[in-house]
Amino acid sequence: MTDTSVKKVVIIDLENKTSETKSFTDLNPYFGGTGVGLKLLEVYHDKNPLIFSVGPLNGFFPFASKTSIVLDNNGAIEDIYIGGNLSTRIKFAGIDSILFHGKSSDEVVVELQNTDVLFHTKETDIQSLGLPGKRSQICVNKDKIQADEYFTTPDLYLEKALLDRNIVGLSITGTENYTVDNFEDYKKLYENIMEMSNDLRVIKEGYPSCSNCPMGCNRSKVGEIGGNVVINSLVACQFADKIYTDIGMVFSCLNTLGYNYTHEDIENLPKLIEETIKKISEL
Amino acid sequence: MTKILKTTGNDKCTGCEMCVFEAQRQLKKVGLEDSLIRVFRGKDADTNAIKFDIEIDPRSNVLDIEKIASICPREVLGVVEQ
Repeated sequence: MTDTSVKKVVIIDLENKTSETKSFTDLNPYFGGTGVGLKLLEVYHDKNPLIFSVGPLNGFFPFASKTSIVLDNNGAIEDIYIGGNLSTRIKFAGIDSILFHGKSSDEVVVELQNTDVLFHTKETDIQSLGLPGKRSQICVNKDKIQADEYFTTPDLYLEKALLDRNIVGLSITGTENYTVDNFEDYKKLYENIMEMSNDLRVIKEGYPSCSNCPMGCNRSKVGEIGGNVVINSLVACQFADKIYTDIGMVFSCLNTLGYNYTHEDIENLPKLIEETIKKISEL
Repeated sequence: MTKILKTTGNDKCTGCEMCVFEAQRQLKKVGLEDSLIRVFRGKDADTNAIKFDIEIDPRSNVLDIEKIASICPREVLGVVEQ
C-alpha cells in the first residue's frame, strides 16, 4: 500500500555528507511533483535547495513518466522535467522528493538505495553502483547531464545546479513493491488509459522510452520546462495533457490509489501554487 | 507442447518496461522487485548505441503471457511453442 497521508522527503546535506528522511503531513494539498517541490523550496529557501520530486501517479499509471526538478536560479524559480527511468526508481525507492542542500567540499557521486544515502568519490564508476534493472543514474559529463545515458533537460539549469553543489553523479535504486487495495479497478483504469494512447501529442517511435510509457517518442530526450501545473504536480508527460488535465480522470486515478482528494482540491491546485510562488518571491 | 514467452526482436526494445509492469500487475504488484521479467540497459560494443536486454524467468509461464506480449509496443516479445 502507498502511504497516502504523508510525503516522504529525503533531505541530503552535501556539506556534512549526511541525510535524513522526513515524513511531511502538510504537503498533500500540493499533490506532488512541482507542487510539493515549490512548497519545499519555500520551506528550505534559506538553504538554496535543489529538489527532485515525483507525483502520486508515477510508477502506477502510463504516461506519468517524468521527474520534476525545482530550483532557484539566482532569484528565478525554474521547474524542469526529465524522462527516463528516474521517476519510477524514485517512486519504488518509497520517496516523494529528494532535496539537496549545501555544497560538497569535493566532487561527489551520491547514491540512494531506497532511502539510504551513500557518498562516493568522483573516481567511482557509477555503473558499479545500485542494482541493474532497478536503478536510474544521472551523470555529469563535460558540463552536460545525461540520465540513463540518454535523457537530458532543457537549457543548463540542472547542470549548473549539480556542479555548483559538486555533484558529478547520482544513482537511485528502488526496490519497494506496492499494492493497491482495489487492484481490479486499478488494472481496469490502467488499461483504459492505455487505450487513450492515440490522444497523446506524440506518435509511437523507436527511441529510448521513459519507464512506463510505450511511445518511444523523439521528444522525451530533451525533457520539458514549465507548463500546466496539474500535469507537473502529477508528474505526467506534457504530451499526455489531454488525459491528465481531465479532472475526472485525475480524480479516478488518485481515488483508485487511495488518495482522499476531492475535485475541488484538484481545481484549487493552480491557485495554491500561484500563492506559493508569490511567497517565495517575497522571501 | 508448452507455450512460452520469448524475446523475438531484442534490438527493437526501447526500454519502456511495459512488459515488466504488466507481469507485476498480474501478480497484484506495482514495482520492480521480484519481477519475472527484467530489462537491462547496456551499450552496443560496436556502435556505442543504447541497447536493452530482456531477461524472462521461466516461471513467467504461469502468467497470461499473451497479454504480456501484446502490451509491448515494438513486438519485441512473442509467444512460441516449446
